[in-house]
Amino acid sequence: MEFYNKPGDFDAINYVPHTESQGTKELWKTFFILFGITIFDFIIYFVMPANGFRNFIFIFFGLVKAYYIVGAFMHLKHEKINLALIILVPTLFIMGLILGLLYEGSMLEVMKSL
Amino acid sequence: MSNHTTTQAEFQDKPMWSGGRSPFDVSYGKLMMWIFLLSDAFTFSCLLVQYGAQRFSNVITPITSNWPNPASIFNHFPFLHGLHLPLLFVSVMTFILILSSVTMVLAVEAGHRNSKKEVEKFMIYTILGGFAFLGCQAWEWYTFIHEGARLYGNTFGITEQGYAHMNSLSFGDHFEWKNGDRTVGPVPFAALFFIVTGFHGFHVFSGVVINVIIYIMTVRGVFERRGHYEMIEKTGLYWHFVDLVWVFVFTFFYLI
Repeated sequence: MEFYNKPGDFDAINYVPHTESQGTKELWKTFFILFGITIFDFIIYFVMPANGFRNFIFIFFGLVKAYYIVGAFMHLKHEKINLALIILVPTLFIMGLILGLLYEGSMLEVMKSL
Repeated sequence: MSNHTTTQAEFQDKPMWSGGRSPFDVSYGKLMMWIFLLSDAFTFSCLLVQYGAQRFSNVITPITSNWPNPASIFNHFPFLHGLHLPLLFVSVMTFILILSSVTMVLAVEAGHRNSKKEVEKFMIYTILGGFAFLGCQAWEWYTFIHEGARLYGNTFGITEQGYAHMNSLSFGDHFEWKNGDRTVGPVPFAALFFIVTGFHGFHVFSGVVINVIIYIMTVRGVFERRGHYEMIEKTGLYWHFVDLVWVFVFTFFYLI
């Protein structure tokens, strides 16, 4: 018990900021957005022919879903900008890795056909 | 060291970047959970990037590549035998995971109000959602293995005739593979399916175990005595991360 802060006893290691309930309105809104996008993906899958544009739509809405999960559910939107940046900036490098390795992968196919 | 304890006012008046307080204004445990999740994001990125590279070295046209179409494989639904129902079952799984994410975040919100009863209720819902998802995944693996997929081999390579057969089907049609539809396909398809969904399922499983532990701690009143329910937030972060990974697994393995 002595490891956790009591009223009037604060230091950097034991510090737990007091959080007020923000209500459930934003959470339910986020849920309906996520649910709606999943339904939308399901419909697009059947009404559109498989092509690059459809894949772009799926990836775009995947990123939108990621934004809402990280922002609202994981509460990152309401944290200090310092914290949000140390979490989000390193993931930008993953985007570079993806682009690089997808290109390398397509080159592998060219190599195989030579 | 003196026995002087810093008061809340003294603590919060400290300048942000001069040490002695977190410039992120979160507790130590929550910051470490975020750092862990960042490293876990890199782990899953490695796996998904490898899948992407393999996919791009096996595609371009269905004629030159026998990379299987996910709609031709994951088109089953429990109790509906022989029907062509692509994407339906995974959409249900996605829905279950989103729903359990919502109940988790409602538990966090109840924790902010120090409402022990509500935290218990929503934790139970979250745990049930986790078990439901694991059950669905077990069924999916069972079906996939039953039809011949292995970690080291893939019998789901699709032929030109198979593509024509698949494209002639619409949602809900009767479906059976015809002779000559399938051939031996690229091994990375099945291998990476098992590795990535298996790794994700393992995360779900450990998330359920952590949630059960936290539920028991809640019932025993640990957090009530502690005065705050921050532990629910930390496990909640992990649980939402599992949901986040599933968004990308769903996109890359099933939709594309």
